[in-house]
Amino acid sequence: MPRYLAIILGLTLLAAPAAASDQAVKEAHPHDRLHGHSEVPGAKGQCADCHLCAEPTAEDPCMVSCARHGGQFRGVHEVAEGPGVVVIDQLAARYEPVVFAHELHASMAAMSGGCTNCHHYSEDSGAIPTCRQCHAADRSEVDLSMPALKGAYHRQCMNCHLDWSGDNSCDFCHREAAEPGAPVAHDATDIVGIPHPVIEAVATYTYETSHADAPVVTFHHSDHVDVFGQQCVDCHRGDSCKSCHHGDQKPAEHARLDHVTSCCACHGERDCNFCHGREPMPRFDHALSTGFDLAPYHAGRACQDCHGDPRAFRYPSGDCAECHIHWEDGGFDHGITGLVLSADHEENDCSDCHVDLDFARRPSCDDCHDDYRFPAESPHCEICLNLMNEGDGRAAAPSCGHEVRRPVNPGRP
Amino acid sequence: MVTRRDFIKCAGGAVAALGGVETALASTGPHLDPDRVGVLCDFTLCIGCRRCEFACAEEAGLPHGELRAYDDTGVFAATRRPDAESLTVINRYPALSADHKPLDVKVNCLHCEHPACVSACPVTALQKNALGPVTYDPWRCIGCRYCMVACPFQIPAYEYHDATAPRVMKCTLCQDRTLEQGRPPACVEICPQEALLYGSRASLLRVAKARIEAHPDRYVDHVYGETEAGGTSWLYLADRDFHQLDLPEVASTSPAEVTESIQHGIFKGFSGPLMLAALVGVILKSAGACEKCEAEAAARNEAGKEADHE
Repeated sequence: MPRYLAIILGLTLLAAPAAASDQAVKEAHPHDRLHGHSEVPGAKGQCADCHLCAEPTAEDPCMVSCARHGGQFRGVHEVAEGPGVVVIDQLAARYEPVVFAHELHASMAAMSGGCTNCHHYSEDSGAIPTCRQCHAADRSEVDLSMPALKGAYHRQCMNCHLDWSGDNSCDFCHREAAEPGAPVAHDATDIVGIPHPVIEAVATYTYETSHADAPVVTFHHSDHVDVFGQQCVDCHRGDSCKSCHHGDQKPAEHARLDHVTSCCACHGERDCNFCHGREPMPRFDHALSTGFDLAPYHAGRACQDCHGDPRAFRYPSGDCAECHIHWEDGGFDHGITGLVLSADHEENDCSDCHVDLDFARRPSCDDCHDDYRFPAESPHCEICLNLMNEGDGRAAAPSCGHEVRRPVNPGRP
Repeated sequence: MVTRRDFIKCAGGAVAALGGVETALASTGPHLDPDRVGVLCDFTLCIGCRRCEFACAEEAGLPHGELRAYDDTGVFAATRRPDAESLTVINRYPALSADHKPLDVKVNCLHCEHPACVSACPVTALQKNALGPVTYDPWRCIGCRYCMVACPFQIPAYEYHDATAPRVMKCTLCQDRTLEQGRPPACVEICPQEALLYGSRASLLRVAKARIEAHPDRYVDHVYGETEAGGTSWLYLADRDFHQLDLPEVASTSPAEVTESIQHGIFKGFSGPLMLAALVGVILKSAGACEKCEAEAAARNEAGKEADHE
């Protein structure tokens, strides 16, 4: 009898901590954070339902392949239930956010396998979780048997796109992100006021008109978008989706939409020759059209920096101080022009050298000093010029007092 | 800093050495860590975007064009090999049938478990790190290029264009990133499809086999690199036999094991040199004995002649 008691006692002692630790495992089970896995362990209540090895760890959970949950997908969904467009921007680094035409794809899928072409899981209620609810953006956070968010997105898209077109080029969906600090390119999400996948428009349209003297009208679409920073809706205001999407036909070529806001809405006060000519006109060139060459110091500026809002265009007077107001208080770093002012010149007013504040004309030393010419003809200045061309860009030339260096960061006074 | 693991290894090695026990450490490199890393490359997921080629060149400081230049699929017209300026390349093989898609195959150093290049290197410029990568130290390299001959996959390349400080060029599994920063290799990080999976070799093997089991119609039942050349850190999955993808059929023993067993057998216990010395000794001795015979014969002849003369 004491032997049985000992066995029972022993079993109780063994079982108690086991039960306690089982509870702890259930409470702290990492799958609780995964969507749709509130009832773990699996259907049979066994760890082995999901784990291949006997002792899974956080580092190596040795999961069975989900196999897309065996295609668990419940509920019937209409195309209109889903979003029209999904902007995928969780992973934007090298590329701009991808604008995914969900409705278009859902319509196509409705003709074949339906939602399950892409959505491989839904909850018992029929609700479809978003990709990132299961697929973590950080690869190190997911088990090896399951793709992280980047892989999940790409496999979804490429599995079909490769089959259909064999096209694997990244720019089918992606646009490279602009360099930090560069003027922001055309925002593809603004067409008719809603986000829309990138539309490749024709760069230049030429129209034949009935005017005998000047029959050709040239419209540089790319200039308006890329150079002048116009948004699609600025001209395509009130466009209907049907302007491009005709039922089951492919979108028409993005050309000659008759109902765009007319040119005159913006250029109404211009004379006829602004648009009409005998020959197609070249693309916009600031130096040719206005006489003010943007190179080199203004080349990187956006139009709005000088001209303000494109819808309320403003013409600068040509007085540099209109923009460069800080020049008045000595805040301008003259070194960016290539010439560092010596102590003798630093106190001068701008107009002392730049007569009539005409900065387009380069002052010469002999404007003030009979014996000096900068930079080419004076022997002193020749030294500086050589240093400027060959040296490290910054050196003192003691005889003339000028410090000369190469222009740095042109266009950003 | 000496980790506990290193300390135990050193202590173990010292004890073994003291006991006069031969360890396998001598030429095969360190004992491999059970958590050593590897990369699983699933060719059926690869889309041939060549981003890995770009990321690799960028990481290794090798000449490379802009990202979009790698969209060019014209390079697939010819089968390419890794060279001194591209440590990894993608080759495309035609689809098996209309139901399949073309297969894109990534070629680079497989980081053998028991590398022949490391065995052949006379100056330990190439080393097998216990954590997986076969690393390279250009400061030790003497440019003998034995590694290039030894590699069963013919991977290492040489900077023949550099007359002053040429290096042997091969994938080092981004040794600075993986070993020092704990980050995945550049090619793995950039792969949009996650066709490349970085993790412990043991778990990658498990994932690979689980994929084959789950999709027997999609994969050939073979994980290339599980046993090839004694096992490699890189593991490949494909939809067809690997020899059709220009991946060589190599034995499951490392070539280094064969050569090392011969070499080590000959020199075991210094027995080879001793036997050679003994053999030479015997030959010399017998030669000496012959000289003695000849001398005696000559003496006899002389004696005979003298007797005739008389």
